[in-house]
Amino acid sequence: MAGNPQPFNTPPLLPSPRLSTSPPLLPTPKSKTPTREKKRKEMVGPQYDLVGNPLGAVRATFERTAAAAAAESGGSDPVAAFRGKDWGACDLFRSFLLEEDGLDKVPVLNASNLGLIKPNTLVRYRGMVQDMLGNEYYIGAFKDGSTWRTNKFTDFSPFSMPHPCDSHLWERHLFHCVPAPGQNSWTMESSPGPDLRRMSSCLATELREKRKRDGDKDDMDVSENGHEESSALCKKPKEDDVHVSSSSNEVAEGVPEMNRGDHIPGSSFSCLVKVYDMPDSQVKLNDVIEFIGVYTFDPELAAPSDNPDDIMLDLIEDVIVQLPPSKVPRLHCLVWRKLSSRDFISRPPVVEPSPSILKGIRQSLLSHLTLVLGNDELAAQCLLLHLLSRLRNRVDVVTVGRLSLNFTGFNRESASIFGNQLYSLIQKLVPYSQAIPMSIEYLNTATLQPRKDNKSGRLVTGVLQLPQGSHLTFDETLLQTGSLTSKGVENTMLLKNLMESQKVDYDFEYYKLDMATDVQLLTLSEGKSNILPSDLVVPFRPSSVPTIDAGSEELENWRWYLATVRSLPQSTEPETYQMIQDEMVSAMRDDRSLGCSELSRWLTMAQIMASSFGEKSLSLEHWQMVKELERLRKQRLQ
Amino acid sequence: MKNPDFAADRALAKDFLSNFADPRGEPKYLNILQDVANRKIRAVQIELDDLFHYKDVDEEFLQRVTENTRRYIGIFAEAMDELMPEPTEAYTVDEDRDILMTQRVDEGADGGADGTDPLQRMPPEIKRFFEVYVKAFSKVTPLTIRQVKASNIGQLVKISGIVTRCSDVKPLMQVAVYTCEECGFEIYQEVTARVFMPLFECPSQRCKLNRAKGNLILQLRASKFLKFQEVKLQELAEHVPKGHIPRSLTVHLRGELTRKVAPGDVVEMSGIFLPMPYYGFRAMRAGLVADTYLEAMSVTHFKKKYEEYELKGDEQEQIDRLAEDGDIYSKLARSLAPEIFGHEDVKKALLLLLVGAPHRKLADGMKIRGDLHICLMGDPGVAKSQLLKHIINVAPRGVYTTGRGSSGVGLTAAVQKDPITSEFVLEGGALVLADMGICAIDEFDKMEESDRTAIHEVMEQQTVSIAKAGITTSLNARTAILAAANPAWGRYDMRRTPAENINLPPALLSRFDLLWLILDRADMESDLEMARHVVHVHQNLESPALGFTPLEPSVLRAYISAARRVIPSVPRELEEYIATAYSSIRQEEAKSNAPTSYTTIRTLLSILRISIALARLRFSDTVAQSDVDEALRLMQMSKYSLYSDDRQRSGLDAISDIYSILRDEAARTSSMDVRYAHALNLISRKGYSEAQLKECLEEYASLNVWQIHPNTFDIHFIDA
Repeated sequence: MAGNPQPFNTPPLLPSPRLSTSPPLLPTPKSKTPTREKKRKEMVGPQYDLVGNPLGAVRATFERTAAAAAAESGGSDPVAAFRGKDWGACDLFRSFLLEEDGLDKVPVLNASNLGLIKPNTLVRYRGMVQDMLGNEYYIGAFKDGSTWRTNKFTDFSPFSMPHPCDSHLWERHLFHCVPAPGQNSWTMESSPGPDLRRMSSCLATELREKRKRDGDKDDMDVSENGHEESSALCKKPKEDDVHVSSSSNEVAEGVPEMNRGDHIPGSSFSCLVKVYDMPDSQVKLNDVIEFIGVYTFDPELAAPSDNPDDIMLDLIEDVIVQLPPSKVPRLHCLVWRKLSSRDFISRPPVVEPSPSILKGIRQSLLSHLTLVLGNDELAAQCLLLHLLSRLRNRVDVVTVGRLSLNFTGFNRESASIFGNQLYSLIQKLVPYSQAIPMSIEYLNTATLQPRKDNKSGRLVTGVLQLPQGSHLTFDETLLQTGSLTSKGVENTMLLKNLMESQKVDYDFEYYKLDMATDVQLLTLSEGKSNILPSDLVVPFRPSSVPTIDAGSEELENWRWYLATVRSLPQSTEPETYQMIQDEMVSAMRDDRSLGCSELSRWLTMAQIMASSFGEKSLSLEHWQMVKELERLRKQRLQ
Repeated sequence: MKNPDFAADRALAKDFLSNFADPRGEPKYLNILQDVANRKIRAVQIELDDLFHYKDVDEEFLQRVTENTRRYIGIFAEAMDELMPEPTEAYTVDEDRDILMTQRVDEGADGGADGTDPLQRMPPEIKRFFEVYVKAFSKVTPLTIRQVKASNIGQLVKISGIVTRCSDVKPLMQVAVYTCEECGFEIYQEVTARVFMPLFECPSQRCKLNRAKGNLILQLRASKFLKFQEVKLQELAEHVPKGHIPRSLTVHLRGELTRKVAPGDVVEMSGIFLPMPYYGFRAMRAGLVADTYLEAMSVTHFKKKYEEYELKGDEQEQIDRLAEDGDIYSKLARSLAPEIFGHEDVKKALLLLLVGAPHRKLADGMKIRGDLHICLMGDPGVAKSQLLKHIINVAPRGVYTTGRGSSGVGLTAAVQKDPITSEFVLEGGALVLADMGICAIDEFDKMEESDRTAIHEVMEQQTVSIAKAGITTSLNARTAILAAANPAWGRYDMRRTPAENINLPPALLSRFDLLWLILDRADMESDLEMARHVVHVHQNLESPALGFTPLEPSVLRAYISAARRVIPSVPRELEEYIATAYSSIRQEEAKSNAPTSYTTIRTLLSILRISIALARLRFSDTVAQSDVDEALRLMQMSKYSLYSDDRQRSGLDAISDIYSILRDEAARTSSMDVRYAHALNLISRKGYSEAQLKECLEEYASLNVWQIHPNTFDIHFIDA
């Protein structure tokens, strides 16, 4: 096959599969056009095999629609109207997947089945948008003789394009997606997909052999510099490992002991997603999205190392060189949706979150938290409020809804006992979490800030490139006296900025851009943390050692509870607000040191407290509860 | 769409080039062509503006040029070849090329006889000494990189961005010239793309007839090359929408445009947006994808200096409109940090800091500074640091430091050893960096005493003198200093005198034009306001309406830079007035036991400076009495927080206190009337009852201090 210099000629990707049961390319045309309104119950069988041969459906619908448009308009270019729009193919897929429960038939792409899935079939991929690589122009439609054909949703044209032909250049967006950093393994249970091990083994071995021929380069993703940490992690996946370490030397390698745990093994691989027809502002950086589309993966096309053609074009950011098709799969997206923490919950216990049910779950969660925190009820209450907090909005410089928590009174030993238990519980409750050891070593060496590398044109990731709703636990008991290098000072300022305004600066060499985040921050320290000033400081007074472990059903309930309560809308009666205002004024009169930030924090805590009971509106009762918590907390501080 | 007729277009182009006259009546393009013939310039820029204004312009021609620019560059070049005049001056001869050209012209006469061999005909490229560029309309707003779409391919676009990478400048071949070993003829091959297939066999007639299969040798010296550079352009920070990262675009620069930009430059480029063709292996790999690039036609750098701030057309109008508005002073002040509630007078003072007074140099060489220095002293939590940070954002040049974080040397200048030359060099510190700008120093009182002395000189003389390590010099540091400090015991201690609380030496105090005391008063009014604010923010998730639309920082900056150009003068009549005011302040201070301020002759200069700054804001050339009054009022208000307490400490009873409150209120609003409801509010905040108010009103009415309206109980002061 090599040596044929004809452009646009596709080498065949795989030997013709006799194993799959794909239907003929052009289905017998039924009279129904695939619109969402018409129910297709009357049809005998599926018109197209959308999972096994999605491109067939795309091309068939295109050719039909183009022919119809040509017949209507009578000769003039019918395809021009299709630029940037869907001619019905995506609607077809959307109705299949979302209305007819086709989602379960589509396999989920991850590192383990990378080589097992047949190329040009439909797959699902869940990941975080790590980098946006701009737009790609491709030949969207061309005229082959008298029929118009389309190349949408593929990288290579299956037909050979006659060289001088009428063609249209269309655009698609490129996104580089990675598995969301800090994603906990319980989230993987919710996306079963068909069992791919049932696929024929000879297909798998064929592909494996092909990849071996490519040269046994390291498995790690070439372009993810910042992910060295997590992939070192993934090379030894451990379940629920709790290390009681007494020295901080173990932390020196950069992998904190608290971080080993429930992370997804083998998750360090990325995917290049190509999205069509999307208005610019819909997908933002760091969004976690599920893409469903056509999967291509060409191990045959090894990245050429040295090519004299390319010496001239040294500045072109060659996507093909940096993300070679042999290592990084491509996904041509047909349908996508943003994932929130609720989407990870596979079997919600109830459909309608009523206050009574929520109250019950709240009680069980609270008692478990109390046990984990050594029977310290005040700490458990504050922790619950913290886990339920969510950034509601930014108003000037104030971030409304944020509640970061600082437990003081920890030392090395108690941090390793309580801290590890607490962190492993958090891992089981929230979708994305990470533990950050605040040692001098870490601050001086870690790459926290994502930075654009102008040589390769890619955004090199840092620890602080996080999806919305992540949870970070800082262990400050590892901090000792020492000096910070300039990098350490920078990192500290980044963390402080994150705490105070929920923004992370991304470095683009000539200027910095602020990216907004919504991250929950928990700090464990000996005294009040001055480096990371939290909203709520609670001295921790445990009285027993935690022993209990939670059952999986309870965990599921709690996960559902946390996800649901966080998304409950909050509204309040104006009279309640009036009463609260008066309360605030009288409180200010008693204690002159109260300022805007304290009042704001009380109001946030009260609103979260109200939501935690499933109430949509705040009542004075919740305000009183918060005041009581404050009183107890103040007592402890003295 | 009818097929374009290129021959006709060439005629149009020729017509335009020879007949176009610029506003001065000169035949612009003919002159350019003459310069090209004289080898003075090598790039001819055709401005679309000119084409647009040409008297015989054909609209469609213009349209065609914009949409298919690449082709029309060729057409213009051919037209220019035809119009090229003879050189009128002697020029420096480029030996190689000229010798070759003369030889070719001779041979061309011979070679023509051999038949019109297309490969022996010299391509016009090789004879050209110039490049043609088409510059886009200047009035068009440049697009951002993300706005360039597939529909722009082939068209002339204008974009702005920042240069992130530059490649080396390399020669790009345009015409490859071969000589044949057998027949000795020169064969030309025009190269239009990145890669070309070199010829190997001689295609001339002679070799074909003889079937000699002459070997062709590529002559690099005879071939025509063009300078070529690739540059990456990235979007500017302000064009990136929230949640996205900046996009990049590759730009190809040719000929005279090379070496014009360096990484980090902010530029505006216009050029043709083209797809990059793929060849060979890349094509097979790339499949359907087309990479795009911009073929640059013109490059302009952005100027961003404050002094040379070029006001855009509508900004000037806006400023004029604002200047006519009577309330401009308070409007500007309130737009300064809109989210910080209150502190109106502080913001007014900060506005004057930004404007400043003009620097004066007297005939005998003495310099009088024009910059105002302000110190904000107050309790923690009154938003001092936020105000400081905000001012630094608005100011054209601002440096923000903290007292603890800077040493004396860091503030002024440090001596460093240059690692390369091993010489000692001076590195400017914060104050020097803020020259012609503002230096904000937070936590001023926490600074070491020894470091604070470094500031003394800067504040008055506006220079920094250095005598260390063999370097004796003085650097300019014409900054305005804005300091924020806390009182001596953290919070203002009411039991002690102001002098003890303001823990700064009088030498330093006198250098500040305004020392503002912001106290956190236990005021029910402000408490309620704060509670209301917090609740509103949580309820509506947006900040409460300010009651007016604050001006954008860019408009502020433009207004201030325009105001700074005015140089007002003080008329004779006011001199007397100012002198009287100053002496009365001094008298008052001498009489009281615990003076709140320390007045020196510098205070007089301060009054003058503040008045001049106020006049500048009004764009007026003379200072008016209202300016002086406002200046005096600001100086008074800076200590306002202390006054009421003073009176209480001197043991006045409720009635007298109420009277003084009402009197202060009238003075503050500069009116003779106080409404009853308002008076009731005021005194109840201080803890007095309505009965006490009524008593006071009756008592003082009998003394004829004021008149009380019988029905509404409004108070009207009787002018004494």
